[in-house]
Amino acid sequence: MTTQQQSGQEMVVGQMETALRQNGRNRMAGHTVAFLRNHAPFNKMKPEALQHFAEKAQIAFYPAGSEIIGPAAGNVRFFYLIESGKVQARQAGEVTVTEYSILSLGAGEGFPIGAVTAGRPSTNHYSAVTDTFCYLLPAEDFLALMSSSPEFNLFCTRYIASLLDQSRRQLQLQFAQRASEQQTLNSPLAGIGARSPITVTPQTVLRAALETMSQAGIGSLVIAGEDRKPVGVFTRTDLLERVVLAQLPLTTPIGEAMTPNPFMLEEHATAYDAMFAMATHGIRHVLVTDAEGHLTGVVSERDLFSLQRVGLRQIRQSIDGARNVEALQQAAADVRQLAFNMLAQGVGSEQLTQFISALNDALTRRVIQLNLENHNFDGIEWSWLAFGSEGRDEQTFSTDQDNGIVFQPPADADVAALKQRFLAYALDVNKDLDRCGFPLCKGNIMASNPQWCLTLDEWKEQFGTWIRKPHPDALLNATIFFDFRSLYGKAELADAMRRHLLALTASNPMFLRAMAKNALDVEPPLGKIRDFLTDLEPDAPGKIDLKKYGSRIFVDVARIYAMASGVHNTNSIQRLRLASQRLNIRGDEVNAILDALNFIQLLRLQHQYLEGEPGKQGDNLIDPETLNELDRRILKESFRQARKIQTRLKLDYQVN
Amino acid sequence: MLSLKKLLFRGGAPTGLPEDVRASLDAWRSSKAPALDDLHFHTRYVVVDIVSSGLDPDKDQLLGIAASSIWQGTIQPDDTFYIDFSTLDGEGAAVDRQLMAFLLFAAKAPLVTYHVPYVGGFLQRAFNERLGLDFQPQWVDMAWLMPAMFEEQGHTVMPLDHWLECFGLDSGEGRRDAMANTLLLGRIFQMLLVRAVGKQIDTAARLVDESRASSFLRRTH
Repeated sequence: MTTQQQSGQEMVVGQMETALRQNGRNRMAGHTVAFLRNHAPFNKMKPEALQHFAEKAQIAFYPAGSEIIGPAAGNVRFFYLIESGKVQARQAGEVTVTEYSILSLGAGEGFPIGAVTAGRPSTNHYSAVTDTFCYLLPAEDFLALMSSSPEFNLFCTRYIASLLDQSRRQLQLQFAQRASEQQTLNSPLAGIGARSPITVTPQTVLRAALETMSQAGIGSLVIAGEDRKPVGVFTRTDLLERVVLAQLPLTTPIGEAMTPNPFMLEEHATAYDAMFAMATHGIRHVLVTDAEGHLTGVVSERDLFSLQRVGLRQIRQSIDGARNVEALQQAAADVRQLAFNMLAQGVGSEQLTQFISALNDALTRRVIQLNLENHNFDGIEWSWLAFGSEGRDEQTFSTDQDNGIVFQPPADADVAALKQRFLAYALDVNKDLDRCGFPLCKGNIMASNPQWCLTLDEWKEQFGTWIRKPHPDALLNATIFFDFRSLYGKAELADAMRRHLLALTASNPMFLRAMAKNALDVEPPLGKIRDFLTDLEPDAPGKIDLKKYGSRIFVDVARIYAMASGVHNTNSIQRLRLASQRLNIRGDEVNAILDALNFIQLLRLQHQYLEGEPGKQGDNLIDPETLNELDRRILKESFRQARKIQTRLKLDYQVN
Repeated sequence: MLSLKKLLFRGGAPTGLPEDVRASLDAWRSSKAPALDDLHFHTRYVVVDIVSSGLDPDKDQLLGIAASSIWQGTIQPDDTFYIDFSTLDGEGAAVDRQLMAFLLFAAKAPLVTYHVPYVGGFLQRAFNERLGLDFQPQWVDMAWLMPAMFEEQGHTVMPLDHWLECFGLDSGEGRRDAMANTLLLGRIFQMLLVRAVGKQIDTAARLVDESRASSFLRRTH
């Protein structure tokens, strides 16, 4: 200041004005810095960073009751730091993004960190509770500060990370709510069991009634008058005792064969009431009526049963003890229910997908065992192989079959005949697995396909061909078949395959390079202008395929690094962890990548469970617009991580 | 510094002004003042406070000027201004340039301060003595306007500290420098604007009128 003034003699007026403006700015900044010094994280920041903040920060007043910023205000232009007063943050919309719905902020606290970092509108309404003064730092200066001040960066990153944590908890809460809604015996009957059950009038002849039952695939029928007031029920037991054994002609009206005066409860009665009634009266169905006595639903013993929490042990026992596919079908439904309960309890996606895989493995093994009762392979070494996501222990709620067989024919055996026997067996297993909720593979990657029911030598040769001639089909196959795992039988055969595979890849660097090139074909859907590219799938405009453009990127990269570093595991997370140790990738870098993969997997699970229709195969297509602000932000960050590992892969394998 | 000796020496005439100052002054005189019929949000107000050796504009010395603009509802850090005359030891041309620089900075915007007779008095004398300018800006006097806008807090003109205390803006750091004062005035002025709009005083012209009227009314009645 003094130097400027001492040289005032030589200055012309214009220069003088500039100098005096600089004086003013310095003085004002001095006062702002004095304020900043009293508050975290600014008190830890370097003087230059504080000066930068102070020289750019405007001061604005917001009278009590006025909105400072909200979702409608468009992209956030400033970072707001409260100098004095109180500000209330209120979530916009009905979905709560963070654990708070209303948050009070005071002097020294800033907002909206997430929105200004991401350069988008705020999700919250921020309004002044009392007269409030704020420092307004323009968004570009905020971002500059984030990149120049490590302390400030850490503060903001931690803040966003805490949001991530909140988001995860929020997700769990959502599941927990649904779980408790579904599972308590105190829930009213109105929400349990079948709605609008099929009814017939008492005058309906038996033949017509039985046809109705047969067509609808139901085991019991409610008989009600025109007013929908139930007068009786007719079950399979009745059919046996009162029709067949009593030799009642099928032209008889059903009213004469039904059990009259069925047990009924009103809709507001609880599941517990129904359970109690069933136990007391020895009945299997309770009819549910509205206050006027009109039929609205039927609750079966089975509906109530599923309300109770299914435990891992019970499922394991029921799987291992299952005598037929029907019993396994129920177990498969229980696996889904249990997986959902675990989601509700906050189990992460890594453990969850492994857990689903473990139970599915048990189920598959049981199907394999049951079918062995009809097929005999005594004296032959063989193994059932799982490929793809099943091979990687990364199954989600909807995974189709990817399997194969490896066998070692005895020296004098007729290999062709033996293969036929394996194929016939595999076909039975594939069909049963389909009935248990593992749909047949559309690409026919199944053990019943002669291509994937091979001897050990044939597998080795197949691997060798793919690796030596890495044309596109071979590379595609590599992404499925190189993630294999023995599910049943002689695991040593799979080990031999793996050793062979790793030896081959180690001696064919060109193959890994081709794999790398292939893995880089698909890029994460990050837009240059918009956050996400949602028009990549012509069949699903506005949506992102989280598998194709998300988890698969990580999986592909993990596979390459695993093969490059000789990692035997097939699970992507384990592959990345182990490979990173061997390749000296920094721990925090890997953790960020794994977090990103886990988040995408969690979103897939959530999407498949919460949005999938019950009993229908869920997809991986999500509309980012339907995600809450926080999940969107984390998803974007996860895609950035995907881009990061792709970049690394590109460098490591010099793919352009 | 702005002593009687210098006043006599200069004879109140701007004849001895440096060439660049004279040129600037001429340009400034012929420049158009900003329209005052726009909303507060679009009006650039210049909040100003001074440092002086005493309270009498006719006898005491002007030691410094601190100013900051309020524009689009905020105090703008890159539109602030500070002169410290005390370091200059009354050196003629530099003082002239600094005063001229203030005129350029203010650019005929309405000036906001607390006690126009005090602040305006010192500025008027300085501009008159040094630049031969009868400095008559559009004043907004918060000392008079505050009780008019915040009736519930008091009906008469009160010291600035009273208002700072009312609004919890008292920094409690004892003596404030002129820039701190200006920034506090700027904050209070923003609060005042909210009230003014509530009373349909929504343009600078109306605010200036209200300021005149309230000071006139309160002085004479």
